[in-house]
Amino acid sequence: VIVVNYLAAAVLFALGLYVVLSRRNLIKIVMGLSLMESSTYLLLISMAYRKGSTAPVLLNPPPGGSPDRLAHGNVADPVLQNFCLTAVIIGVAITGVFLAVVVRTAQHYRSVDSDRIRELRR
Amino acid sequence: VSPGTLAPLLPVPVLVLLAGAALAPLAARLHRRLPAVLAVVAALTATGLLLLCAPTVYGGRLLVTYLSGVLPVHGAALGIAFAADPFGLTYALVASGVGAVLAAYTLSELSGLGRRELGGYAALFLLLDGALVGSALTADVFNLFVWFEVAALASYALTGFFLERPIALEAAFKVLVLTTVAGFVVFVGVALLYSEHGQLNFGALHEALHRAAARGHLPAVDRIALALLIAGFGTKAGLVPFHGWLPDAHTAAPGPVSALFSGLMVNLGMVAIGRLVLQVYGPGTGLPVLGVLTVLGLLSAIGAALLTLVQDDLKRLLAYDTVSQLGVLTVGLATATPDGTAGTVYHLLNHALFKALLFLCAGAVVHLTGKEHLSEMGGLARRRPVLAAAFVVGAASVAGIPPLGGYVSVGLIHSGVLATGQPLVLAGLLVAQLLSVAALARAAYLAFFRRRPEPYGELGRLKPGMAAGFGVLAALCVAAGVLAGPLRDRVAAPAAGWLLDAPGYAGAVLHGGGRHAAPHVPFAWGDPTELLLLAVCLVGGLLLAVAAVRRPAAVAGLLRPVRAVQTGSVNDYAGYLAAGVVAVAAVLLIGG
Repeated sequence: VIVVNYLAAAVLFALGLYVVLSRRNLIKIVMGLSLMESSTYLLLISMAYRKGSTAPVLLNPPPGGSPDRLAHGNVADPVLQNFCLTAVIIGVAITGVFLAVVVRTAQHYRSVDSDRIRELRR
Repeated sequence: VSPGTLAPLLPVPVLVLLAGAALAPLAARLHRRLPAVLAVVAALTATGLLLLCAPTVYGGRLLVTYLSGVLPVHGAALGIAFAADPFGLTYALVASGVGAVLAAYTLSELSGLGRRELGGYAALFLLLDGALVGSALTADVFNLFVWFEVAALASYALTGFFLERPIALEAAFKVLVLTTVAGFVVFVGVALLYSEHGQLNFGALHEALHRAAARGHLPAVDRIALALLIAGFGTKAGLVPFHGWLPDAHTAAPGPVSALFSGLMVNLGMVAIGRLVLQVYGPGTGLPVLGVLTVLGLLSAIGAALLTLVQDDLKRLLAYDTVSQLGVLTVGLATATPDGTAGTVYHLLNHALFKALLFLCAGAVVHLTGKEHLSEMGGLARRRPVLAAAFVVGAASVAGIPPLGGYVSVGLIHSGVLATGQPLVLAGLLVAQLLSVAALARAAYLAFFRRRPEPYGELGRLKPGMAAGFGVLAALCVAAGVLAGPLRDRVAAPAAGWLLDAPGYAGAVLHGGGRHAAPHVPFAWGDPTELLLLAVCLVGGLLLAVAAVRRPAAVAGLLRPVRAVQTGSVNDYAGYLAAGVVAVAAVLLIGG
């Protein structure tokens, strides 16, 4: 079952990369990067999967139990999910900067075509 | 001071810089110049705190502290570890020390900026500097990724900060695309390592990888992870073919920002690659990773140096030279010998000093004359002699003229390459050096020493603060050469010792510190072979410079295929990056 997730992540990543490599519209490039970003989240969440596990939410131990029993439950790997949270936050910040740059570019060049915005070369 | 009291201080320099970043925009409300003053004070405080650790660390002891006091249990580290080995401490000191000089320089050159601009600028500057110091000291691979992203976020904003030139927007977009892709690549690489081994600490990862390699073939996941990490951090370091963003970012940014990027930020990638390849994976994995690094390094060293030869934009020329110098650093690391690695650490220091100096000079030329292209400059040696002298000191250090530092560090890298029996690689390095000499000699002649037919319409004054900045950096460039003996024995050699002893580093990071004796790194100023090689590079370089000045069209014609690679299209640059990732991954998967 989990193999489907890996395949989906790979397909999403490839789609995003294809957009970044082949589209000249700056907004589409940003969207392609967002696709690639989502694919990394899917990959990480899939890698955190453990068969038959529950969500890694550790509350108080059950009545009469000691705190060290908590660690014996079968939970998904919380560290990878944590990575995703960190990356989502970074990703939001970066998308914000991205769109700000695109807006300023569009205002200045009256175009969002990457091929017409290439004064810097050689 | 005992190591027990020093180690908990390690995160403080980073905190000081980050706190400065948070306070800078607020300080701008009190006084217009206060943010820049705050930046200088924060960078100096961080330098001072790091200097407190210097005698202990350079004495051979590794300091390590675990954030929130979460100590490792049975070789498994759960908390984030901050560790200072001589390699990381050198980079942290360079980042904070040169950062202080650059902040002071900014106070002088950019003092015309408004209140809000100076506040935002100082905040971004300190954020970037803090990320660099953090990346130098962290011993946790996910934490390294976070510092990478913090540095990236600050660099995006700094690239697009000065919008009076619209190319800043174009450059910012390219930096954003390439660095974001690099960020994904690093992120997935880190996640693969974690999901395979359940470890993030450098030491614990090394031990896990070592066990995996000892069982025979290293698993494909580890190989792909290494390829992704090399490609991601290679993008930050600006190595060919991941370099597309670097020249553009430097062309668009003002002098102090370029100096910060080129002198300090790109080294983040180099430090990360050095740590991951030499200390985390280590020599026992049987992967052809040193060969991969040598090829990437030579491609960068020679390819980018070719692009400097007829470059008309002064700052772009220096940016390509940065790519070339980072290539030299990579080759030095890839020798994995005491000489070559010590030379790399030494060259990292030299490069930060001379490239910061050269970019400040270039920025000042643009600032004073309003011209960006070498073909429009000239005659500045007579009009602004201080500026010319500073540029010549920087260029001479690149060229490796004794007694400047470049001679020692490049010489050490050469002897490392020879010790591994790779004469062709040495020949490649010499070609790159010859091209660098030619490009900088041409730039110095065109900008400073030739006669300019008509006088400048208006030529700005060099402010005392700017001259002081040149003076400090030029003096440091000279000091890096004159103090070659102590720097080599006390700084570069201990750094090489820790870099090359992966099990020792792993043990020290996991067990609260450790000691390591520095290897012997011999070097003689009067070594006849080295002097002969230098003479060949200088004579050949000067001849080539004459050719490039006299017959620019012919030289440009010869270089057409190389120059055609730099299409300026962000799609193409992302394509080079993707192709590079695939190529590195393929080699690491098949080889070994």
